[in-house]
Amino acid sequence: MKSTIALCLLAGAVCTVRAQTTPPAKTSSADSLLNAMSTTADNEPVIATFKASRLIFSQTTETVKKGNLNFVVIHRFGDIGGSAGGGKTLWGLDNSSDIFIGFEYGISDKLDLQFGRSKFEQLLELGLKYHFLQQTADDAMPFSATIIGKTGLKPYSVTTNVFKPYTNRLNYFTQLVIARKFSTNFSMQITPSYLRNNLPFPYLPDNEKNFFVLGGAFRLKVTKRSGIVVDYHHPFSSFRSSNNTTTNFYDPIGVGWEIETGGHVFTLNLSNSQAISEINYLADTESSWGKGQFRLGFTISRMFELSGRSKNKY
Amino acid sequence: MKHLLILLAWMLPHQADGTLFACKNAKVSLYSKAPLEDIRATSATAASVYKATTGEVAFNVPIRSFKFQKSLMQEHFNENYMESDKFPNATFKGKVQSLPDLTKDGTYAVKATGDLTVHGVTQNRTIDGAFTVKGGAVSFNSEFTVKCVDHKIDIPKLVFQKIAESISVSVTATYIKN
Repeated sequence: MKSTIALCLLAGAVCTVRAQTTPPAKTSSADSLLNAMSTTADNEPVIATFKASRLIFSQTTETVKKGNLNFVVIHRFGDIGGSAGGGKTLWGLDNSSDIFIGFEYGISDKLDLQFGRSKFEQLLELGLKYHFLQQTADDAMPFSATIIGKTGLKPYSVTTNVFKPYTNRLNYFTQLVIARKFSTNFSMQITPSYLRNNLPFPYLPDNEKNFFVLGGAFRLKVTKRSGIVVDYHHPFSSFRSSNNTTTNFYDPIGVGWEIETGGHVFTLNLSNSQAISEINYLADTESSWGKGQFRLGFTISRMFELSGRSKNKY
Repeated sequence: MKHLLILLAWMLPHQADGTLFACKNAKVSLYSKAPLEDIRATSATAASVYKATTGEVAFNVPIRSFKFQKSLMQEHFNENYMESDKFPNATFKGKVQSLPDLTKDGTYAVKATGDLTVHGVTQNRTIDGAFTVKGGAVSFNSEFTVKCVDHKIDIPKLVFQKIAESISVSVTATYIKN
């Protein structure tokens, strides 16, 4: 800023001197004044780090803007290969391992409220998402950060009958999403998360109630309105490590293609996790890419503008 | 920044002999009329300079300053259509053909010829406008259309019904004499 002022002053001084010697300065003083007046602020926020509030597994730093309602439908089919896949199930299309229907409503431009329901474990979830750091164009703030808090309730006893104290049905999830838009085409995020299941899930001996998870995801635009997305999570849980002899757990890995068409964002993906909600897939991903237990999935998100800002103003 | 402007404003009269008009809060509105949707957007932070002795006129509007009814439209406008990270400003730099006498009250229709740069593509245009002088206050307004195709702004087939091929632009600037 200081150097800009100095430069402008210098330029101004030169102009004045020249103006004295050659009265009608040809290169216009109009131009230099215009340039001085229209210096754009370089601390502009970086917009559209991601196009949707969700990638494959993860949520992004993007929140739903004030008064908007995002309607999300996510689907995961059955195993493409392995014993449950193959031609007899039309490579998994006959089965749905999970279906998620969700709503996200923007309370302010930075805060949204979300509700969703999964087929997997009949999980109901209610959450808040707050975008508290915004990446700026001048890198004064080099990344965006959002915090998500969710409470999940499994109202029905599906896989276990130890739901007696009602609190056993509750699960809690917290995630920090740190993202950076490196260029117009490439955005990446890392997501440290913490999951708490009041009743260990799956309900097996030695399973942990609490564990940390570290995830990462990116979007690489290939065309102007579509691109590749990759999503990965690793739970730090000794029960879920590879030396567990009774049950095998795998890290959720997903690859997809994201297409944006105005109000809709579609994602077509392949992933090994059966479940859609973080509360389910972080705790229980027992299917492996290596055994053909990956599936086709899709996400449709549609943004509705509920409270039109006063139209007369524009 | 303000100090710099004041300084410049103070320095400029010496070379311009009080014939330079400047405005840093010019209003630029966009209007797209399409079968499915009418879209409006406004910026109130465009800058403009007019030099009365030579007829040079210049406008500059930051693309990010346009405000839309719908936040998603605003994002798409910047991200998909105007690519405001690559092309942050739209400008017009030209010359008014027959110089109006701005010392007398009245409305003076003028034609300005020059370069209109939108989305990084420059087109030579002649744009109709009018100066209004009322009690010594000088303002300028103009309405013209910008064809998306002329400035390489692609509209995908899928949203063709929502976005017009040519956008109406209206500009209003109230000048301060320097």
